[in-house]
Amino acid sequence: MDISQTAIADRRREANPISRFLASMRDGRGFDILLVAVPLAFLIALSGLPLVYNVVMSFQQVDMFSLGTFWRPWVGFDNYVAVFSQPETWPILRNTVVFVVASIAGQFLIGFALALFFTMDFPGAGYIRGLFLVSWVMPGLVVGAIFNWILAGDFGVLNYVLKSIGLISENIFWRSDIAFSLWAVIIANVWLGTAFNMILLAVGLASIPKDLYEAAALDGANAWQRFWTITLPMMRATIGAVVSLGLIFTLQQFDLFASITSGGPNNSSNVAQYWAWELSFRQYDFARGATISTVMILVVMIAATIYVRSTRHEVRG
Amino acid sequence: MSNEAQIELVGVDKHYGQFHALKDISLTIEKGAFVALVGPSGCGKSTLLRSLAGLESITGGTMKIAGEVMNGVPPRKRDVAMVFQSYALYPHMRVAENLTYSLRLKGTPKDQALKAAEDVARTTGLSQLLGRFPRQLSGGQRQRVAMGRAIIRHPKAFLFDEPLSNLDAALRVHMRKEIRALHDRLGATSVYVTHDQVEAMTMADHVVVMRDGVIEQQGRPLDLYDKPASRFVAGFIGSPAMNFVPATVSEDGQGIVLDLPGASRLSLGRSLEPGRNVSAGLRPEHLTVTQTQEAALRLPVGVVESTGSVTYISSDTDPEITVVVHGRSPLSAGDTMGLSIAPENIHLFDVESDRAI
Repeated sequence: MDISQTAIADRRREANPISRFLASMRDGRGFDILLVAVPLAFLIALSGLPLVYNVVMSFQQVDMFSLGTFWRPWVGFDNYVAVFSQPETWPILRNTVVFVVASIAGQFLIGFALALFFTMDFPGAGYIRGLFLVSWVMPGLVVGAIFNWILAGDFGVLNYVLKSIGLISENIFWRSDIAFSLWAVIIANVWLGTAFNMILLAVGLASIPKDLYEAAALDGANAWQRFWTITLPMMRATIGAVVSLGLIFTLQQFDLFASITSGGPNNSSNVAQYWAWELSFRQYDFARGATISTVMILVVMIAATIYVRSTRHEVRG
Repeated sequence: MSNEAQIELVGVDKHYGQFHALKDISLTIEKGAFVALVGPSGCGKSTLLRSLAGLESITGGTMKIAGEVMNGVPPRKRDVAMVFQSYALYPHMRVAENLTYSLRLKGTPKDQALKAAEDVARTTGLSQLLGRFPRQLSGGQRQRVAMGRAIIRHPKAFLFDEPLSNLDAALRVHMRKEIRALHDRLGATSVYVTHDQVEAMTMADHVVVMRDGVIEQQGRPLDLYDKPASRFVAGFIGSPAMNFVPATVSEDGQGIVLDLPGASRLSLGRSLEPGRNVSAGLRPEHLTVTQTQEAALRLPVGVVESTGSVTYISSDTDPEITVVVHGRSPLSAGDTMGLSIAPENIHLFDVESDRAI
């Protein structure tokens, strides 16, 4: 077959829509689109639709009889008004804020300190740092169970330590005292999230070129000044990402509440995400559960926006 | 230039575990001198420079800067400035902030620091760029910021760690002159590390050739070229590199001669005991192409490369002999070329010790 014949055959193949489709799958844009389409379909089906369904439900009247249908009575913002006029709403939202801020602060500060500690390359640093990851891979319910023992009022090891070093004179009933119940969960959550913070921050620290520190040292900066003028500004993007992810993970934290305090006593350790579950699956008030979830979606979306922006403005090189 | 010693090293040693990186280095650098440390990679030149900066600690000997012993003094208290190969500019600071960083750490008032930055920017040609971030600068501009950051401090010594190796060839030649001019204008003391002997030869007053952690030879650039102390220095200084030919000293009717492989013979203008095996060093630029019949050496031509102004002719022999000819050459591969060399331009090296004879 000479060249002109090949060209004719090619043109004939191009005219056939099926072979054109197959050709684009083989080496054209079709394959790119396929690669994007599969995860996109997955995300829409398993994340997007439930999310939309949840938002729609927060504007509907939902009871056991209408649970099975999608077309329920539209009630506008009635559910929102109802939720925000409940007496426990504000204390629970306040708890949520305390839980999020204290957890992120604890995880971040301890994680950053550990990350800095492990930049000193002492023998075995790699192994010990690896061990820290154990806390991160453990299921929340297991961590909760362990912390139930640690935090136990009568024989818990935390009380024993605090008493031995003279910080407290009486046992603290961490899980049942309304002044401490929220902090019991915060302590467990800080332990759970520290390793993740440490790893991300360690990666950020490792990407700062060594010669910047050498240049700063020659320019007359001591260790403290090097930290404030080189390390922190260079870590800006990483810190933004870690804190935003921390917010998202902390707002998702459910297992520890379920296993340590169940939101009690008397809602003293209840937070929005646990309350939403309680309303929906304990009290079967799906509309209010969905309402709280929708409010949380808004908060997480703001955090996600900050996260995406902070990773986009990478200051490097 | 005064004769006061600004940097004084006596018997400096540096070990990395089992590895002996610097071996008994003694070196005096006068105030206002421009000293180049040159050698192949791994010779210890960068380690020596970083030890001067305090970024590496030395394991033995004494290191003095401006008369003060600096062993164990942290970098920030040494009052030396360093220009890094990577420039190490602070990426999150604008040019002005990069320049004034050291002043701000010292607590210099803002307006004074800014004025100093403007002065330095003028001398280094950065005035238009003070508001830019390093990532918005070209390689040459970054290089200037790194220099400016060093200049603004008026340090006791400038340390350069291969500062030009990331620039393209044309800019490198230009910056070479600029750095040297800046050094002269500031009356500074500079130590310049490079693996490029051309940089060392053209910029420095004093060249220190290092190899395997020891100083092989030091002196004025042309002294190293004229009287290399060892075969290593002879091969390292000069471009293209010196040719080395195994030879035997012998005597003919008129005097001492050198027997080269291929029954060639060079007359030697000095006395040496006959029968001794040596290595003869012939610089490509000292060899002249002559009529075949009157030439001391007759070699087959291998490769002829011409840049227009200069032609490099390599012989088709082992070891290969390279000749530099100004202008063009009618020779081509397969021809026979005749070479001659003035006796005073023949370098001789001991075969065992590689030292110059």
